[in-house]
Amino acid sequence: MRRKVPHLLGFALLAFFLAFPFVYSANDYAYVMHIMITAFFYAILASSWSMLAGYAGQFSFGHIGFMGVGAYTAALFSHYFWLSPAPTELCTEYRFGETWLVVVNPIGVTSTTLTQDCLRQAMEAWGGAVQPTRMPVWIGILLGALMGGVFGFLIGVLVLRLRAAYLALFTLGFAEILKATISAEIEITRGQAGMELPALFEHGVTLFGHTFDKTDKLPPYFVMFGLLLACLAILAWLAGSKFGLFVRALREDQDAAAALGVDTTRYKVLVFVITTMMAAAAGAVQAHYVGIVTPNNLFLLQMSLVVAMAVIGGVESFIAAAIGAILIEVVLELLRNSFVIGGVEIDMTIWRLVFFGIVLMLTLRFARNGLIAPLLGYFTRGHVARETVEHRLGPRPRVEEAAAK
Amino acid sequence: MIRLSVSNVHKRFGGLHVLKGVTFEVEGPELIGLIGPNGAGKTTLTNVLDGAIKPNAGTVYLNGRRIDQLPPYQVAAAGLGRTFQVTRSFRRMSVLENLYVPALATRRRGDRKAIHAKAMEVLEFLTMAHLRNEYAQALSGGQQKLLELGRLLMLDPEVVVLDEPFAGVHPRLMEIIYAYIRRVNEEGKAIILISHQMDSIFSLSQRLLVLNFGDLIADGPPGEVKRDPAVIEAYLGTEDPEEPEESEKFGESGEKRDAGARNGDIGEEEPRAPAPAAVAATGRGGDTGRRSGGE
Repeated sequence: MRRKVPHLLGFALLAFFLAFPFVYSANDYAYVMHIMITAFFYAILASSWSMLAGYAGQFSFGHIGFMGVGAYTAALFSHYFWLSPAPTELCTEYRFGETWLVVVNPIGVTSTTLTQDCLRQAMEAWGGAVQPTRMPVWIGILLGALMGGVFGFLIGVLVLRLRAAYLALFTLGFAEILKATISAEIEITRGQAGMELPALFEHGVTLFGHTFDKTDKLPPYFVMFGLLLACLAILAWLAGSKFGLFVRALREDQDAAAALGVDTTRYKVLVFVITTMMAAAAGAVQAHYVGIVTPNNLFLLQMSLVVAMAVIGGVESFIAAAIGAILIEVVLELLRNSFVIGGVEIDMTIWRLVFFGIVLMLTLRFARNGLIAPLLGYFTRGHVARETVEHRLGPRPRVEEAAAK
Repeated sequence: MIRLSVSNVHKRFGGLHVLKGVTFEVEGPELIGLIGPNGAGKTTLTNVLDGAIKPNAGTVYLNGRRIDQLPPYQVAAAGLGRTFQVTRSFRRMSVLENLYVPALATRRRGDRKAIHAKAMEVLEFLTMAHLRNEYAQALSGGQQKLLELGRLLMLDPEVVVLDEPFAGVHPRLMEIIYAYIRRVNEEGKAIILISHQMDSIFSLSQRLLVLNFGDLIADGPPGEVKRDPAVIEAYLGTEDPEEPEESEKFGESGEKRDAGARNGDIGEEEPRAPAPAAVAATGRGGDTGRRSGGE
């Protein structure tokens, strides 16, 4: 019975998050929904990172970089690729039947759109007679995830021989190089100015007989929550299959795993590809939801936040990491208020991060497997010690057999 | 029919020439002891056999297939398994999970029920069934050695290389390891046993290989090897080890004698101690305190 408790809790949480947007109706609805969407975003990053670092032992600091690959792929795709029913005769374009795929020329941030952006010039010339359309958002998200997988594959192959601290430094280097490149390639990526993206549902969407505007929070809430559930389902399936068994063996002892027949190269690269695809997909959805992506999204601080969330939740359980991420995001927001104790006003907007740091340090010192994973372990592994003790105190036929001889 | 051919294997690490043209053949279910002083190249040879290290020259064939250039996981699948000198269990994985890894890794279609049944049978054999769900890190050092041997049973290779299976192991667990070696051998597998426990290796082995600074200086029946002047000079020392004739035979008397010897009774106890005395002697050893003989 006790072993079923985590499942029941899981269903309760699922029901809570499904019902939340319909039940909650305070004035700060949009704000709270935004926090929840951001929390789901971090939960995807933290849980996929826990598979990479906690299960497979690949302590990568590049996860936020892969998130950025997804976000920027989606941004570049929606910025540069358009569909038009008529040729612009200014841009690079490819004809597919009655439709032209228009590739807009990069102009950077200092140029004016009307004199140098080929599509704007064409639209000006058309005077509204022809309406080019953006590529579907979901294709950009899919491409973002795929591109994350490609980068994950390349990095996975490059770090094959690296372990522990060297792997962390290498992946940190990757994320920083990516950030620097995006900042520097102003002509294509618009540098620090960032790139704007269309909303997830630019023209609104009708759900449950209600039409939602592109600024409504409910559709993106369910998109991000759906992505989180999909990632968790994939992670659960992987963790329970031989993949999960092998990557954990890899974490424990790569040479011993290889000597027992595990193709360590394959699983090491695979775990990189799968988890980076998840990070990239989350990045792409988040970029479309927020509407802008800048190199600052790839800051090391963001990575530290993901690591801290996973560590406080419990890095060896992707569920614990996901719950940890949601809890921390929500708590950090709740702590934004300042309050007064004994006449002293405490401005929590600054102190909340100190509080967070202290929790992280205490967790690392006193609860190496996080705060939530041991709770889950109590339910799922609590019987193990009891069985061992029962065996020790119970009858011992083997000894008697030996004595009889 | 198993056939492992190692021919002219060389390995250098910088200026060190660790293996200098090692050549030998294993045919059928032989039980071979591999001895030599520290730094002789025993573990390097094991690493070459299992693919962890590529030799600078020479070849290793297993059943007609060249394995010296294969990665370790392919060597394992080809039918050669090894244990490590320092135990390398997957510490934060349960005992059962440790056993599942080799079985799932080398079988195309893993029938989970069959694998679980085999794992439980292996654990019963190693007297560790009650620990099946414990993390390997909760086990004692000796139990971790047994677990590593159990993983080899699950891998089910044709050639088994055991690197120091007796080091730091209590006599009672040692008996299990003896039974293990006998079982693996009876299943028709070839065993290469590396050990510094002279009693064990002389009593178990049907054939002895002696490495000395990368040279294979002897290869033959234990009795002969023991009298080989080169081996005495390089490894055994000038004083002839006791009772060579008695221990040549691999069997019960040798095993019991060994159990007594490791309790620190060398020379005090009769070489052919009656069986109950040997059992009592191991009982006094205390094991982990759970299985005192008086119960």
